[in-house]
Amino acid sequence: MRKNLYDHVIDWIPEQSSVLDLGTGDGEFLERLIKTRKVRGEGVEKNPQLVTRCIERGLVVHQGDVLDGLDQYGNDSFDYVLLLGTMQELLDPEKVIKESLRVGKYIIVSYSNFAHLKARLQMMFLGRAPVTSSLPAPWYKTPNLHFCSIVDFENFCNDIGVKIVKSAYFNKNREIKIFPNLFAEYALSMLTTLNRAGEINNP
Amino acid sequence: MDSIEKSIIEGDLQDRAISKYQSDLGVTYTNIVKFTNFKTQSGYEFKEIEISYQTLGKLSPAKDNAVLICHALSGDAHVAGINPKTGRPGWWDLHVGPGKAIDTDKFFVICSNVIGGCAGSTGPASINPETGKPYATDFPPITIQDMVNAQVRLIDYLGISKLLAVVGGSMGGMQGLVWAVEYPERVHACVPIATTMAHNAMQIAFNEIGRQAIMTDPNWYGGYYYDKNASPRHGLAIARMIGHVTYLSEYAMYLKFGRKKQRPPMPDDLFPDFFAVESYLQHQGESFVKRFDPNSYLYITKALDCFDLISERPPEEVFKNVKAHFLVISFESDWLYPPSQSKELVKCLKRCKVQTTYLNLGTPYGHDSFLIKNPEFSHALNHFLNAEYKNFQREKSKTV
Repeated sequence: MRKNLYDHVIDWIPEQSSVLDLGTGDGEFLERLIKTRKVRGEGVEKNPQLVTRCIERGLVVHQGDVLDGLDQYGNDSFDYVLLLGTMQELLDPEKVIKESLRVGKYIIVSYSNFAHLKARLQMMFLGRAPVTSSLPAPWYKTPNLHFCSIVDFENFCNDIGVKIVKSAYFNKNREIKIFPNLFAEYALSMLTTLNRAGEINNP
Repeated sequence: MDSIEKSIIEGDLQDRAISKYQSDLGVTYTNIVKFTNFKTQSGYEFKEIEISYQTLGKLSPAKDNAVLICHALSGDAHVAGINPKTGRPGWWDLHVGPGKAIDTDKFFVICSNVIGGCAGSTGPASINPETGKPYATDFPPITIQDMVNAQVRLIDYLGISKLLAVVGGSMGGMQGLVWAVEYPERVHACVPIATTMAHNAMQIAFNEIGRQAIMTDPNWYGGYYYDKNASPRHGLAIARMIGHVTYLSEYAMYLKFGRKKQRPPMPDDLFPDFFAVESYLQHQGESFVKRFDPNSYLYITKALDCFDLISERPPEEVFKNVKAHFLVISFESDWLYPPSQSKELVKCLKRCKVQTTYLNLGTPYGHDSFLIKNPEFSHALNHFLNAEYKNFQREKSKTV
């Protein structure tokens, strides 16, 4: 799925745009994005070893947590802010999403679906917190602080006044088009502020 | 091997007798160049100044591989290689040399002693041609900007129009910032390490204790001690001891000394316990006075304290012309120039749309972390310079 999801992100980002990648890790994806889409890209990463790897790749990166990283930039500094795989690990996702929409015009966020069929079956029949390929860690080791389903996340966006521009859903092997809340392990969404929702011109 | 590593970790290469240390560069030398009509920020006009400098590696035909290294308070032009006079390695030999973080096989490295210093460049101990005597405290106050202006003259003299990078820690980092702000067309990249845009009250306070130790030494004589039999060595040694404590961390001191005793008690001891840390500080103080002029210590620490890059201007105005790409590095354990000061700098740079990478390393050795063996630090510096070298070459080929 990872390949599918990341390929999708690349498809969603127009050439020559500007991108801030939050939780950029060793910078592999950001480097690929810069090469394939000719974007101006910067990253935020809190682990110094990974920051050094980014420097090795010639990337511009800020060492710090997500909110500290966002605080470095003025309003509308980027076209896209990426929150790939980190949103559920953040203490205050609402604050991060609002702050990301101050710094960028759009957010592209990915997360694991807690209501996926496998997870539901484990809960139902084993009575245990699910451990699946998209939620691989047991409850005491998972970095995720917030578990949500696709429906939960979409309601959450609605509640905090954030518009979902488009979404795509995936399981391990392919894109899921029907009943994503049941069959998708991962979701990918592009978000923007309500007042910007009218001016969307994306590929 | 272990003991070499250990002695290196113990601190500043200059102040340790490292008999087994071998520099990959072998013996290296410094030169002296004279510049006429040098005006300081305070308005004083020198008819002539001397600047001591060292170059390592070869300048490329395109003159695009020059890296200026700026030294900190107690450094000098002898950045790497063995100093023939002292037999000791340069202060940054661990990070400058063939295949090292700043690779002399690839880059043309320049380092000069600051004006006001006492290691070859014109300073308070130099002879004032008008009187035939040392300037002493007739020497004008100097600033970080003056240090940079002298470096600009040197870079002109070497025929370099644009530096690939200016790299420096502590006071050297301040010089890097001045380069990027005041000479934006002449710097491609800037690496300020463990530094600040302005000293805070605590930093000024430690420097003032050092200055008072010198100025209250009965042998200071208002600064005119050069023709006396004694100099304020004692005051300078104390200043250095205080300084040295601020360059370390609690953890580094615990590792090096703990509560170890230096030697068993002796009959004449006032107090029976002589701690290893006491002995170390005394050694640091004593070895420092052999190579440093007390008046230079006063002038340079004052330059540090007065430095204020922003000085109540809006940051956008200060950084509006900056073109350099930045790598800002701080150390978590540095309590003298804490990461918060580097973060403030990074935020100003980024908010002013200056391309900036920030790295805060967990190295536990305090402010001295950039002077000791530090693989993570070397690695980041090395890769940043390599990447910026490619960028710089690409930019140059576009403009041609």
